[in-house]
Amino acid sequence: MFTHSFNILARRFRKDPVFSLATLLGLTLGFASFILLGQFINAMLSYDRCQEHYDRIYRVQFFMNQQDNRVQHSASVTAALSRHDLVGLPEIEEIALIHDVGDNNKNGIFLSADKEREFLTRWGFYADPSVFSIFTFHFTEGGPEKALSEPFTIVLSQSLANKIFNGKPALGKQIYFENKLVCTVTGVYKDFPDKSTWEPAYLLPMESFTAITGWKGYEDNYRAYSFMTYVLLKKNADPAQVDAKIHYAMKDYNEMHFPYLRPMSQLYLNPYFQPDFYIAIGLLIFNGLLILILSSINYVNLQTANASTRFREIGIKKTIGFTRRQLWYQFMAENLILAMISCIMAILLVRYVSPLVNRLMGGETLSTDYNYSLLMVVVVITALITGILSGIYPAYAISSFNPVKALKQKLIEEKQNGLSLRKVLVTAQFSIAIFLLVVGFVFYRQTHYMVNRNMGFDSEHVLFANIVTDKKGPTSTLRQNLMSHAEIVDVCHSDYIPFVLPGGADVNWEGGFPDEKTFIRYSQIGYDFVSTFDLKIVEGRNFSRDYPGDFDKCLLNETAIQTFGWKDPIGMKLDIRGRSFTVIGIIKDYIVFSVHNPLEPHFYRLIPDTISSNTIFSVRFKPGTERKAKEIVEREFQSFFPDDAFEFKNIQSRIQNENAVTEWRHLMKINLLFAVLSIFVSSIGLFGLILFYTRTKLKEVGIRKVLGFTGGQLYYTLASTFVKLLVISVVFAWPAAFYAYKSLPGANKYPIQIWEFLIATGIILLVALTTISYQIIRALRVNPAEIIKDE
Amino acid sequence: MIHTENLSRIFQTDLIETTALQLVNLDVKKGEFVAIMGPSGCGKSTLLNILGLLDCSSSGQYFFDGTEVTVLSEKQRTLLRKGNIGFVFQSFNLIDDLNVFENVELPLVALGTSRSKRKKMVNEILEYMQIGHRKDHFPRQLSGGQQQRVAVARALITSPKLILADEPTGNLDSQNGEQVMQMLEKLNTEGTTIVMVTHSMNHAERAHRIINLFDGKIITEQVDRTFQPVYNLNS
Repeated sequence: MFTHSFNILARRFRKDPVFSLATLLGLTLGFASFILLGQFINAMLSYDRCQEHYDRIYRVQFFMNQQDNRVQHSASVTAALSRHDLVGLPEIEEIALIHDVGDNNKNGIFLSADKEREFLTRWGFYADPSVFSIFTFHFTEGGPEKALSEPFTIVLSQSLANKIFNGKPALGKQIYFENKLVCTVTGVYKDFPDKSTWEPAYLLPMESFTAITGWKGYEDNYRAYSFMTYVLLKKNADPAQVDAKIHYAMKDYNEMHFPYLRPMSQLYLNPYFQPDFYIAIGLLIFNGLLILILSSINYVNLQTANASTRFREIGIKKTIGFTRRQLWYQFMAENLILAMISCIMAILLVRYVSPLVNRLMGGETLSTDYNYSLLMVVVVITALITGILSGIYPAYAISSFNPVKALKQKLIEEKQNGLSLRKVLVTAQFSIAIFLLVVGFVFYRQTHYMVNRNMGFDSEHVLFANIVTDKKGPTSTLRQNLMSHAEIVDVCHSDYIPFVLPGGADVNWEGGFPDEKTFIRYSQIGYDFVSTFDLKIVEGRNFSRDYPGDFDKCLLNETAIQTFGWKDPIGMKLDIRGRSFTVIGIIKDYIVFSVHNPLEPHFYRLIPDTISSNTIFSVRFKPGTERKAKEIVEREFQSFFPDDAFEFKNIQSRIQNENAVTEWRHLMKINLLFAVLSIFVSSIGLFGLILFYTRTKLKEVGIRKVLGFTGGQLYYTLASTFVKLLVISVVFAWPAAFYAYKSLPGANKYPIQIWEFLIATGIILLVALTTISYQIIRALRVNPAEIIKDE
Repeated sequence: MIHTENLSRIFQTDLIETTALQLVNLDVKKGEFVAIMGPSGCGKSTLLNILGLLDCSSSGQYFFDGTEVTVLSEKQRTLLRKGNIGFVFQSFNLIDDLNVFENVELPLVALGTSRSKRKKMVNEILEYMQIGHRKDHFPRQLSGGQQQRVAVARALITSPKLILADEPTGNLDSQNGEQVMQMLEKLNTEGTTIVMVTHSMNHAERAHRIINLFDGKIITEQVDRTFQPVYNLNS
């Protein structure tokens, strides 16, 4: 039976290659999308999997119960927690305390081998030597034993070492920090894979932390939340036990803060109990299944349509004495063979296409370097199930033909009115295609929106640089020099700028209970911050050089006022970091560091016009003068800070590379890929279906032509059938797509518009009509006499 | 072999009721060669379909080889038909996608005969029908006469008790038609019961008996007295 089916298939393929190919290709694309999706999700789930102790690594985090019943999570913890409360717990094998070098949220630190060629480098960390026992490091030079045990040593990632030392061995060489401090290279390790939540570019010994930063006593400090801690649990240790033991570790210092362990498996997808990624992945899985369903529907449509060309075969077989079951087996075997061929084609296709997709999408969007066999098993099983499911109906329909009618080829196609299965399937097909297109649009527009929306500050004409310096003194000459250029609009310095994650602190406010505290973003800004970023003061006034007492005053954003429930905020007082401040102005809310996340209360205090050791300088330029302005800025700063390294960048570079934006961009690309694939699959399906339809109507076309009908009327008849189904499909697709839009995570969603739905529907309509036109024109070119005599 | 009592067949469409067969009483004995004649639309093919268990009567009874057929399910009829009844059609009805060998082999596949046995039987019958040299060809590569010989070979492969032939010579020129008639006669003399629908008086006269159908009724029977039922064949 199997060889028989295979023979028939092969011969039919030779006889009608176009139709057969359409059938096969539709299914192949369906499977291919499914595999691509699998690879994409696999890539998202494979974060940190390269760690040998993946299952035993935990990050110490804490949550705080907020004023408005919100729970906020943070991975920034105090050093004292690691040094005192975690030590000695029987479940824990290793503890590593880690701290940023400089502030990795800003631009990083300049490293150099010769004080000449300097490299602005982010993602450096101070770390305990125990990191080597917790994380998997592969050393190419030196070894983990002594790498971080001496002060003023540095361990480099391979790529950084290659950059700084031009590919030459680095071990034992010296590296200058900001052209000041000198460290000796004690090791070089292979870069962590892209898919790592912690990806250090270089490591310094924690032992040198105090010496370099001048911060004494940090190990006993329970209030400075700027450290990270990773722990390695012992085999079979229960993290819940640790959670229970450290739950109240911070209560003497902040009774609202509760530390806990977060497993490494969650650090990428869901570090802070925000299901955003899961929603996105869920939607993707749904989309992938939809494409699979779409191609199955195609398949069912084409196979049942095609069955009518096999009336004679079925009639004869039945006459001869084949039972329904025998015929059913035969057609099921055919379906399974086709499904398997498609499956193999899909696997081959994906093999060649996924590197291309990766290149197109940037980075390792699809993971290709994993256990291929497991995915293949899943894919083959899926293909089998799809083959069976989509084969059942055609096989059933075919095997139940009445032999007499089948032999006479008199089988009535389908009832003219009423709900035929094929109409339902075509409608479903249209619905799915429209849905996928709209969702593709939504992702595209949202990503676009996150970058291009009005941020509430000047997000296009600001250059900024983080400058670490030993220089002291006022900044006024620098400001004067810069402002003398027509291209420069304003200059300021601050410890934070938009899209650089600001620090935070607990605040107690006037009108709240005496011991009531909530978390507030805490930034220190110069006089000209508000004007440089073109922020709006909605109430009160900005800091001013005319008021010497402004150092005890503060600005708040609108969200803060809402949080405190103040009616008349000006003049109100609040306590933060042990000092009291009086509110003098309210800044209109703007996007602080992520369009994706909700706004938080934000507090601004004033810093004087003097240079501090670590400051961000921001310069706003006149629109259209960016290149000139950059030259001026670099020249002026170079002469003002001759001994220091820095690099000015447009603030857009921060916005474009913000985490949520990059993740959305990622998702957008894969969703658009699916949308395009769905258009492909549905056009193939439509092509086959309409090809078949026009073929069965050939005689009608002939008679109509003889009777003097024109092509236009024929076109209308055929097109109106499909357009009606398209209209029905809109009823299902639009609400579904809108629901998908609604359920997507994010605080600031772009307002969806009706034309997105219209365009998506229009594209599908266009595909349908083009296919119909093509087939009709072909049908019309046939000589009517030929068709009619072909009885 | 065939015995019907008041067999009727009514076709119903939405509005019209067509009586294709009306109270047909027919007996065909084992080894007999019966020709059915009549104008287009008189119910010849309907009768043949019912006799071949492809279709059901609306009323009346039909006994095939002693079995009451009208009460059987579709599946039971299929099982009864399998191997017992062979069909030859005017339009040959070969499957285009199968070659000569595979076409002839089909009834054996339906019966579940083993591959080696199938091969032997098909080769034998093809030789017998003098078409063995064409066994790898596809139907469209054959002449009409050759195609009909393949169809007859397919009908014969299971050594059926009854062969139903629906205008077997209708699509053939006289020479090829004559060849097929000779083949059928030969089979009949070897014991196979044959019921043949034909338009050709010339071919009909070579049967033992001619039944004339008109408007679904048997109007005349011409009996060839030379026929003596042959027993103990194929049994």
